[in-house]
Amino acid sequence: MDTLLIAMFEILSFGAIVVLVVLGLGIIASMMGIFNFAQGEFVLLGAYVTYLVHSLGLPVPLGMLVAPVAVGALGFVLEKVVVRRFYAAPIVAMLGTYALGLIIREAVRGLTGGLYLSVPEPISGSIMIGGLHFAAWRSVIVIITLLVMAASHALLAHTSFGLRVRASLENPQLARASGISTGMIYSVTFAFGAALAGLAGALIVPVFSLFADLGIRFLIQGFVAVMVGGVGSFAGPVAGASVIGTFSAWLPWLMSPVIADVLVFVLAIIFIKFRPQGLISGRGVNR
Amino acid sequence: MINANRQLSRRRFLGNFAFASAAIAAGPGSWVIRPDWANAAEGPIRLGIATDLTGSLGFAGNTDANVARMLVKEINDSGGLLGRPIELLIEDTASDESVAVGNVRKLIQRDKVDLVIGGISSSMRNAIKDVIISRGKTLYIYPEGYEGKECTPSLFCTGPVPAQNCDQFIPWLIENGGKRFALPGSNYVWPQTINAYARKVIQSSGGEVVFEEYYPLDQIDFSSTVNRIISNKVDVVFNAIVPPGVSPFFKQLYQAGFSKNGGRLGCVYYDENFLEMNQAHEIEGLASSLDYYKVLAAEDPVSARIQSAYDKQFPAKFRFSAGSAATGTYRGLKLWEAAVKEAGTIDRDAVAAALDHAKIAEGPGGPAEMAPGKRHCRMKMYIGVAKGGQYEIVARSAGLVDPKEC
Repeated sequence: MDTLLIAMFEILSFGAIVVLVVLGLGIIASMMGIFNFAQGEFVLLGAYVTYLVHSLGLPVPLGMLVAPVAVGALGFVLEKVVVRRFYAAPIVAMLGTYALGLIIREAVRGLTGGLYLSVPEPISGSIMIGGLHFAAWRSVIVIITLLVMAASHALLAHTSFGLRVRASLENPQLARASGISTGMIYSVTFAFGAALAGLAGALIVPVFSLFADLGIRFLIQGFVAVMVGGVGSFAGPVAGASVIGTFSAWLPWLMSPVIADVLVFVLAIIFIKFRPQGLISGRGVNR
Repeated sequence: MINANRQLSRRRFLGNFAFASAAIAAGPGSWVIRPDWANAAEGPIRLGIATDLTGSLGFAGNTDANVARMLVKEINDSGGLLGRPIELLIEDTASDESVAVGNVRKLIQRDKVDLVIGGISSSMRNAIKDVIISRGKTLYIYPEGYEGKECTPSLFCTGPVPAQNCDQFIPWLIENGGKRFALPGSNYVWPQTINAYARKVIQSSGGEVVFEEYYPLDQIDFSSTVNRIISNKVDVVFNAIVPPGVSPFFKQLYQAGFSKNGGRLGCVYYDENFLEMNQAHEIEGLASSLDYYKVLAAEDPVSARIQSAYDKQFPAKFRFSAGSAATGTYRGLKLWEAAVKEAGTIDRDAVAAALDHAKIAEGPGGPAEMAPGKRHCRMKMYIGVAKGGQYEIVARSAGLVDPKEC
């Protein structure tokens, strides 16, 4: 019973981490049709900004607030300068964003000297409930993930900005004819996705420590999650991320971790073979 | 469209072509450090360093290149070897075996070096040793601590191997931790080989292995492992998980109360570079077994001299530490220097014959010598325990420890 509770908590918290990382990726993929291969490095950059603020002697939570803003701003600039040239050619966009990611990754590697650096949790230690330890910071991540998810959904589904984003996605010509600056909408959406990645990086860096390859693992997991969940909707990638995160944290409890690691991908491939549209098909925010 | 004004003109093509050929000729990631004096008759002795200056092992490779720079400068300043200066040629192996083979070939075929020191991971050593030894007919020194079993002629290993890591360390862990061991490791050759060796020593020392398990190299969540460790009442975690997994693993162990309830962490490769990976309180009491720690400088004047000379020349972030192969590189180069002096030539077989029994009286952590016929190095070993983000030396070998290889 105790083990079951701990297992459930650990699986839930890792699932939340994956959802948090995938959220930005999913929004960019679904709303803009761009598979952003630099998303993992946006996560890394968020982690790096948090470390930087910490190393300047400022409090870590401040770093966690600065990170999404800084990464979002960079995302905005990159969209204006690089990414928008690729909307007509999604395959080239993958290569282009991969190149951007490579540059960010190697730059961070240079700045950190290739070392692994720790950032303390703002809330450390464990919560004890009846002799069971629950890592406090992981609980905070679960809560923040739920909040961010709800806020992102509200933003896209219930605000006028969200309406414009959806309009630009559904029918760019008509949106432009209606006086919406689709170019600006794309920039802001991309920046928003990047900011979410930056926030994810800032929140997970105390758990995994900062290192240059932090983003890669999540990038691959993130793409599998988006494929399984289905591109085009808001809920799809989130559902996919929950499934992938849960499976990758749960399977090692049952079998050898090396087999579990492969099995997640095998299951994902089989699933996509039989349901290529993913868990949730359709486009838009509310479907 | 975007490409309309970017058509390839002849001028543009020639420009690109010239740039590309210049880049290929110079070779990305090549450095040549020429001596400031020359021996007119014979020219310099050429020393090749092939190490990971970029990529995931860059933090270690840059340290090794720096150690070579420091030692070559020392040797050249004191009159060179056999009256000839040493020219240092550094190639980047980029933590990538396919890049490495091409770059090492440059060292061998174009630069015709007399010795190659380098390679950090075992896969790198396996990728480049053939280029150096069989086809290149050149001597090769591998400086990193590794899993052992490398018995190729003309290949000399100067880092610690499992016998040196474990023979003293595991009885210490049993005494200062307990008898029930867990052997978690990353899924590749080094953890599997060292765990197989550790298991033998654990059993012969009266301990027992509760479980041994391997993980994908990039796994970063270890909740099921931590749970097994806690619920099986493991006393000692003998860790062979490597970065990036090791930091979240230690953190999760700490959060589950492992060390608070008297558990002991042991990890043979953990040097000063890794102490920053976790917050100090998370790895308090972690024990590691290495051939050198920076704190030795406080008691050993030779180590102090080497450490301060390095820190003065290279104050940047690449630290002189055992796990980076800095000590192996130092020993390798000095042993080779002694061998060349004895042989009186730089002919490969003559130097190899002399290197087979070479000794140095002074090195980081103490003297060192090659075990004759084994091509592995005898060295002193130390057990360090992390206290407040620093290592404290708690035990040391009586003399030089035999590698028991080949």
